[in-house]
Amino acid sequence: MSSSKGKHKYGMVIDLDKCTGCGACSVACMSENNIGVLPDETDKIRSITWLRVYQIDNGKAYPETEVAFIPRPCQHCEGSHGHHTPCVSVCPATATDYDEETGIVSQVPTRCIGCRYCVAACPYHARYFNWYDVPWNNGLDKPLSPFVSPRMRGTVEKCTFCFHRYQQAKNKAIVEETEIGEMDYQTACTEACPSGAITFGDLLNPEHKVHELAQEDNAFRLLERLGTNPKVYYRTDREWVRRQLDNYLPGEQPDRVKVGG
Amino acid sequence: WVPEPADGEVAFANSVNPATGTGVKVRMVANRTKGQRFIRVEGNPDHPLSRGGVTPADATALQLHYSDAYRVRAPQWREPATGAPRRVSWDKALNYVAGELKKLKDQGKEHTVVMLGDDPKTAESELMMRFMASYGSPNLAFTPSAAQTWDLACVLMSGNYDIGFDLEGAEYVVSFGTPLFEGFGAPVATRKALSAWRDNDVKFVQVEPRASVTAGRANTWLACKPGTEGAVALGIASALVKEGAYDKDLASQALGFEDGGDGPGFKALLLNDYTPEKVAAITGVPKDKLLKVAKAFAKAPKALAVCGPDNSGDPGRLYDFMAVLALNMLKGNLGKEGGLLVRQPLPVNPLGEQLKVSAKPRLDGGHEKPLAVTNLAALAEGAVKGDPYKPGAVIIVGSNPLFTGPQANLIREMLDKAPLVVAVTPFMDETAQLADVVLPAKTFLESWGDSGTAYGSPVSAYGIHKPLIAEPGEAKATGDCLLALAKVMGGEVAKALDFDNMEKVLKTKCADMGDFRKLAEKGYWVQEKPLIGKFCFSTSSGRPEFKSSGLEIVLMRMAEKAGNKDFLAGLGIDPKKADLAAMPHYQKPQALAKVDKKYPLLMAGIPSLRTAQASLPASPYMMKVLSDETLAYKNNLVVEINPATAAELGLAEDDGIAIESASGEIKAIVHLFEGAAPGMVFVPMGLGHTAFGEYLKDKGDNFQKAVMVTTDAMSGLPQWGLSPVRVKKAKGAAHV
Repeated sequence: MSSSKGKHKYGMVIDLDKCTGCGACSVACMSENNIGVLPDETDKIRSITWLRVYQIDNGKAYPETEVAFIPRPCQHCEGSHGHHTPCVSVCPATATDYDEETGIVSQVPTRCIGCRYCVAACPYHARYFNWYDVPWNNGLDKPLSPFVSPRMRGTVEKCTFCFHRYQQAKNKAIVEETEIGEMDYQTACTEACPSGAITFGDLLNPEHKVHELAQEDNAFRLLERLGTNPKVYYRTDREWVRRQLDNYLPGEQPDRVKVGG
Repeated sequence: WVPEPADGEVAFANSVNPATGTGVKVRMVANRTKGQRFIRVEGNPDHPLSRGGVTPADATALQLHYSDAYRVRAPQWREPATGAPRRVSWDKALNYVAGELKKLKDQGKEHTVVMLGDDPKTAESELMMRFMASYGSPNLAFTPSAAQTWDLACVLMSGNYDIGFDLEGAEYVVSFGTPLFEGFGAPVATRKALSAWRDNDVKFVQVEPRASVTAGRANTWLACKPGTEGAVALGIASALVKEGAYDKDLASQALGFEDGGDGPGFKALLLNDYTPEKVAAITGVPKDKLLKVAKAFAKAPKALAVCGPDNSGDPGRLYDFMAVLALNMLKGNLGKEGGLLVRQPLPVNPLGEQLKVSAKPRLDGGHEKPLAVTNLAALAEGAVKGDPYKPGAVIIVGSNPLFTGPQANLIREMLDKAPLVVAVTPFMDETAQLADVVLPAKTFLESWGDSGTAYGSPVSAYGIHKPLIAEPGEAKATGDCLLALAKVMGGEVAKALDFDNMEKVLKTKCADMGDFRKLAEKGYWVQEKPLIGKFCFSTSSGRPEFKSSGLEIVLMRMAEKAGNKDFLAGLGIDPKKADLAAMPHYQKPQALAKVDKKYPLLMAGIPSLRTAQASLPASPYMMKVLSDETLAYKNNLVVEINPATAAELGLAEDDGIAIESASGEIKAIVHLFEGAAPGMVFVPMGLGHTAFGEYLKDKGDNFQKAVMVTTDAMSGLPQWGLSPVRVKKAKGAAHV
């Protein structure tokens, strides 16, 4: 029972050298979290994708060109000085909050007043606004999950690290009087990834794989120097990928930049 | 309006998605008043090959299953007088089809009936074979696949088929032009190998003309000229032989390695014709890069060479596959861990006595090709020309060739020419829209069916799916549609397909796999251990063959028939070098020879798990995750062109263009991509549907519309990896 009261810092490490950009994580997230779909999804201003997979390339001439993929969920920023999460700090309605127990940045659509300050504050484009109600036509509403409420128009939504799965795992742990094991709480994207590129767990728990992976030399975070202190780590052996994911000066070596920690 | 998903008790069941081969777990929720429904398809962590991973098609299978816009729910019949489709009863639909087929038989035209399927490894496909054999038509074809080419190469040189690549056990891997991480074999199992390589620091090399996903994941990308991957394999083999770094035991036993009484051997061929300089000239891969890979390949104890479908899903050229197999043989890879392994045969039973296939000439002219493999494109061409006869009817089971091709326009012409088109399908796809009769099939979630081993797998794998929820509606399992039709037909056909239902069919097929109920609950059977250390050569010589005696016999028969040696020219072989015909060697792809002033560019496809899987359409969620590099704003298809080539053509980023071939035209916008080989246009595949409603229809354009199919002279299989095209700037179509 101790774990359900204890302090966690859930996070993930995404191995960009394993990612094949197949999109399984992204669609698994959509089916788990009842994400809406519009007839025209090429209009990216209205398209909602909690976990978006970006494609980048090194820009070198043929045949030195290389491509890579960057899966980007909400980074669940802790902020560098006492939970100063960019989105949480601007929300006037406490619709988004930093959970002390798990380190998860929550999103409560029923509290959201649709001001979109958080969307503007997020440096990762991880937040999305429902400009309209999702049509849910043509039978698309049939497989909706009962564990996550579909959102209404006028609210913001984003990745919650599948928080409902944490609640289920916590309930189970309480009933069984055990602790939440590493495999008891996994996000939908982590489970779905066919190449095992995503590892999820408690960054504070030395028994969890993420704890070790996040400390490795080739691990880093997106736009690390903004001081957002995210809980999503990436790893790659390719320096050009690393360079594109933060603002490095031309001569600078992208060694691990530690801000806040 | 926000829907309130009904809550209830949750249950899980195992299944398999036959389109991907992924072992899945299906989550269902039972509401007290609203009943049971599916809510999610997840990976099955117990499945030894997919281990919990899924593909986008698996994770979104429910969107296809439940979509009113995708599914066909009742039999449809097109009234011949008005041409308007209308809903009819099963009896009426089956009686009509059976009546037409009987009429053809009475006229002695039963051999003119064509049946097309997708996957030849399922129980349904066996029913199709029995149906066609007992009815009396030889015109049964499945989607052409690399497995056909690979099996031919393996049989010709080793006497075995069912050979897989032990990707996970390998310590150094070179992939020759096959998109390992976009369209090779079972997608999840292949990705598990990638994960293992990363964890164990296994290096891999990708040989292909484009900076693809696979090339980007590779430690080394050898950019070669289009269609020259086989020559790269021969170049590496030549370096191994030159350095003496090859399996000398095997070579000394082998047929056709050293020079013999009948001419020069494979060794001499490699050392003379595939020196690093010559290979560099053919392939454009610099000599030092080639030698570096050859050295690493020679040095690694477990180095593996892989081939498979190319980026366009093309089944590959026979001589290229033979070259890759020869490289593996020289490395001593047969039966070794991390090498090529013969799969244990699946313990399945036939569905009855083997039936004799009609000896009438086939529409694809197969009997005239050296190896007589069925060829869907040639069949369509024969049907369109009426050579040797016109098609009496076309029955399409569980596939959508009008969209997936090869060469969609050719398939359309064939269907237009056929007096009767019948589609058995769960989806109102392009083919079904054109059909005279549509028989509604169930999806894998609500029906009995199975799947076989995926291409390239080192172990045999069988998947079985069963009805999980009794869904309302008139659809039947695909197999049950065939059984029902056979029953109405009566006579020989009913006798050949004498089963009550698909469940009984699978019970017969799986009688040797233990308790059927348990098998159905588990959802799969997978060979326990790979067969390491066991490899018997079952060629006619009983030896490994670098010069295939089987192929020599076939060629001799052809020579006799032709009366002289001119036939070699038809196979792309210089009559002066007749010895080559039975050995792996590089042949310039026919498409390259067709590039001319009118069609100066080569078009190739870009595969992606985000746009298509087998003949399945993309789900709405899959369309949602397409990046701007595939489908741009306003649903424009995005094609890749090298900036230098674009400059020559006067094209800039976001220009609207038309890609034209002798077959058809694709509309797209230009993306300048440094990773695209110069002189080529790369087109994403699986988009541009004209069916399936607002979430999929009219988004992008169909690659297959501009494809120009050629035929591999030796295997007889269709080739569509490369098509000669031209690009024209479209007026006023530029992207915002």
